[in-house]
Amino acid sequence: MKERLLDALSRSRAGYTELRLRRVWSSSVLVRDRTVESASTATEIGGVARCCSPGTGWGLAGFSGTERLDTRALQAHELSLAIASRQPVELAPIAVREHDGAAPIPEDPREVSLAEKRQHAETLAALLSASDRRITSTRVLCQDEVVETWLATSEGSWVHELRSEVSTSVLALAEEDGNVERAVGSVRIRGGWHGGTAGTDALIERVASRAIERLHAVPVRSGRYAVVLDRAAAGALMHRAVTHLARPNLPGADPDVLPLGMRIGPECLTVGDDPTAPGLSASSVSDDEGTGGRRTVIVQNGVVVGHLHSRETAAAEKQAPTGHARAGSLRGAPYPRATNSFLAQGQGSLDDLLQGIPLGVYVIDALACEAAGDQLALRAGSARMIRNGRLAEPVKGVQISGGFLPLLGRVEAVAEDFAWDVEGSRCRDGAAGVVAVTTGAPHVRLVDVAIGEGIS
Amino acid sequence: MIGRLLEAVSGHVAAADALVKTDDTLSLALSPEGDTRIAGCRSQVGYLRVLRDGRIGSSAGTGGDAEIPDLVGRAMTSAAAGEELDLFLPAPAPVPEVSTRSPQAAAADAAVLDDLARTLLERLQRGNRRVEAWAERSVGLVQVGNSRGVLVGYPVSMAGVGAVVESIGVGSAPPCQVHTSGVDLPTLPALEGLVAQVDRLLDPPIAEFSSRSASRMPVCLAPRAVATFLRPLRAALTGHQAWLGDSPLRGRLGEQVFDPRLSVVDDPLAEGRPASRPIDDEGVVSRRLPLIDRGRVVGFIADLGVGARAGVPSTGHGWRTPHAPSRVGMTNLRVLPGPENRATLLTMMGRGILIEALEWGAGPNSISGTIALRAPWAYLVEGGRVRGRLEGVVLSGNVFDALKELGGVGSDATWMGSYCLPSLLLTDISVRCEM
Repeated sequence: MKERLLDALSRSRAGYTELRLRRVWSSSVLVRDRTVESASTATEIGGVARCCSPGTGWGLAGFSGTERLDTRALQAHELSLAIASRQPVELAPIAVREHDGAAPIPEDPREVSLAEKRQHAETLAALLSASDRRITSTRVLCQDEVVETWLATSEGSWVHELRSEVSTSVLALAEEDGNVERAVGSVRIRGGWHGGTAGTDALIERVASRAIERLHAVPVRSGRYAVVLDRAAAGALMHRAVTHLARPNLPGADPDVLPLGMRIGPECLTVGDDPTAPGLSASSVSDDEGTGGRRTVIVQNGVVVGHLHSRETAAAEKQAPTGHARAGSLRGAPYPRATNSFLAQGQGSLDDLLQGIPLGVYVIDALACEAAGDQLALRAGSARMIRNGRLAEPVKGVQISGGFLPLLGRVEAVAEDFAWDVEGSRCRDGAAGVVAVTTGAPHVRLVDVAIGEGIS
Repeated sequence: MIGRLLEAVSGHVAAADALVKTDDTLSLALSPEGDTRIAGCRSQVGYLRVLRDGRIGSSAGTGGDAEIPDLVGRAMTSAAAGEELDLFLPAPAPVPEVSTRSPQAAAADAAVLDDLARTLLERLQRGNRRVEAWAERSVGLVQVGNSRGVLVGYPVSMAGVGAVVESIGVGSAPPCQVHTSGVDLPTLPALEGLVAQVDRLLDPPIAEFSSRSASRMPVCLAPRAVATFLRPLRAALTGHQAWLGDSPLRGRLGEQVFDPRLSVVDDPLAEGRPASRPIDDEGVVSRRLPLIDRGRVVGFIADLGVGARAGVPSTGHGWRTPHAPSRVGMTNLRVLPGPENRATLLTMMGRGILIEALEWGAGPNSISGTIALRAPWAYLVEGGRVRGRLEGVVLSGNVFDALKELGGVGSDATWMGSYCLPSLLLTDISVRCEM
């Protein structure tokens, strides 16, 4: 493959040419209640050629298959020349690197039979159904994916990488006295088959107990509360409220970027993004432009000190690329995107954060964290009231709402119990597509936060 | 390729069907800073499903001829582990005519798209606005076949233009997104319609509204807001959930559930719409399907899989995507218009709120229909006139309850992509202001 890519590059007439090729093997088994609804496999191969020249804009040509790679580069070059009066592309320089990370995957999911995968999914579904008589309906989706990537640029960068991950998504419906509630959860583990399926029993237990708990949870009273976020919810908040606003403009995405030097939170708030964190699903030695990833601090002690960059946005801001150019699809262009967003650990434990809160809400997990304009909404996976410094009864319908900056300004304390979350999170962002992301955070306490009502 | 795929499994399986889709997309985006981005993409996907020893197997790939043995081998392996299901594939049947391709859209190049996007951007531009505009066209071919002799191919095209408009220094309104799409290239009146829509959203001044606690008052949902509001209803009428799952409408076919003024149809044969098609991805010919007739629930949608499990025929609503299980989905959803024009609906409200758009936000639970949706584009109406824009409005209540008794249905049914929806006047819903 390397020879074919290099040959295609050598035929390109553009000033800069980049060819990225990806082959994806995937399998999925869906079990609804006790019935296997599908067990299938898919392969897809395709990629993108991207070109620019002095004085031209980007030209991008996505394609299926691996044939006629030189023609793809030529199409991209032609598109880069189309339409007069375009702003020329400037790329920040990067070190030319050659990386071959395509070592065989231990317990490669491709070597595991679909029959075994089916059996695994059926076992999980049976476990979930049997966990409580009030669980009336279940859905288990087990997926695995192996991705091989080749990236070559006319500057001489060469990356060849092979990676795999295994994910499990679960939905449970609980019913009692006409009241119906549901809970969802997922895990996504980088690596081989057995590592990826270990720990799914805990997921089943968590989702089942959450669905049952919701049967007896009362709707939260809307109002303003002291709020403690668990690690998953805190990570989701930081990902959406900080790392999303630390990237220069994307088409159709957040138009505002946090200005460098601006104070957005208290001293205890240090947030960043680390594509080099080992073993996480969004980790990578190189981004989709061939730039080596580096841990980037975005907010240091409450003050914005950095942004996440592609080569193009780095050149525009006269900064160094940070290795965050990620393509949201097989045939998509790379844009600056978060990888593994983190909130750095602070001091103290969860008990320390709860202490002194007469009435508050403890938010467990985030089902979704979305923004509209400068407003953000985080919907809790589950929640409990905090009464006199202790966790109390479960409540439902908890949704945190507020402006980005006011919410960050309400962070009061950060605990020391940092951990990465292995929930199978994905980040959807305008025209830039969908990428896998991971978040990591300790528990966090915020004061005077608006909690919504009415969503069951 | 599709014939060779079916030939390759012939004699080895009880039945098989296949789908191949090719697509050539060209897209162009104009940034507020004047930059133009152009991207082209050509792709092909192939999908094979087999029925062997009573089990279903499927595989997907890029769909090239050289890949056929691999696709067949993986489908066979999948069948060994697949669902036991008595899937009954459709026989050949007359295929209805519907417009799915426009030669003008198919031939559009970067210059045509640039002209479209630039025309829209220039018309939207004002001193206090930041405007991004885009245009896109795609052209392709869909081929469907099965071992019973179905073999149908139809050409498709799609063209769209849209913009994201940010109003600078006017309250905390989110960026306003508008677009229009269809089989043919957007016309100048369609672009003017988008401009008028943006002006209608952004021009009214901010008004005061002091309902911090939820209060019941008349709410008029404009067509775009209706599309979001009806999400729980769409889910309740769809596939497994409707026939076998937890839909609140399950088992209620034939019952008068909603206001007699509500009629809903799924229409794959609407001319030139994005989801129009003569046949579905499983070879079932398309037909217009009434779902709610004057408030009575009269239809649910199904594909072959759901149909086989529920013991009902497919309604031609199968969709296939290569890296996910087949899914059941609507095509073009139409809510039939009523007699009242927009002005009449606003007058009927007295004092109330007009909502132009709703945000689904962090994903309310659609099982029960209970919602609490932010309305970024809401307007205070008094005496039939819009008095100003409201910030922080949240609409809460239950979608199914609200549809039981409507205040009115507008005559202004408007196509927005694959939805054709009128305004709805709601009387049983709560609003509050969070600002």
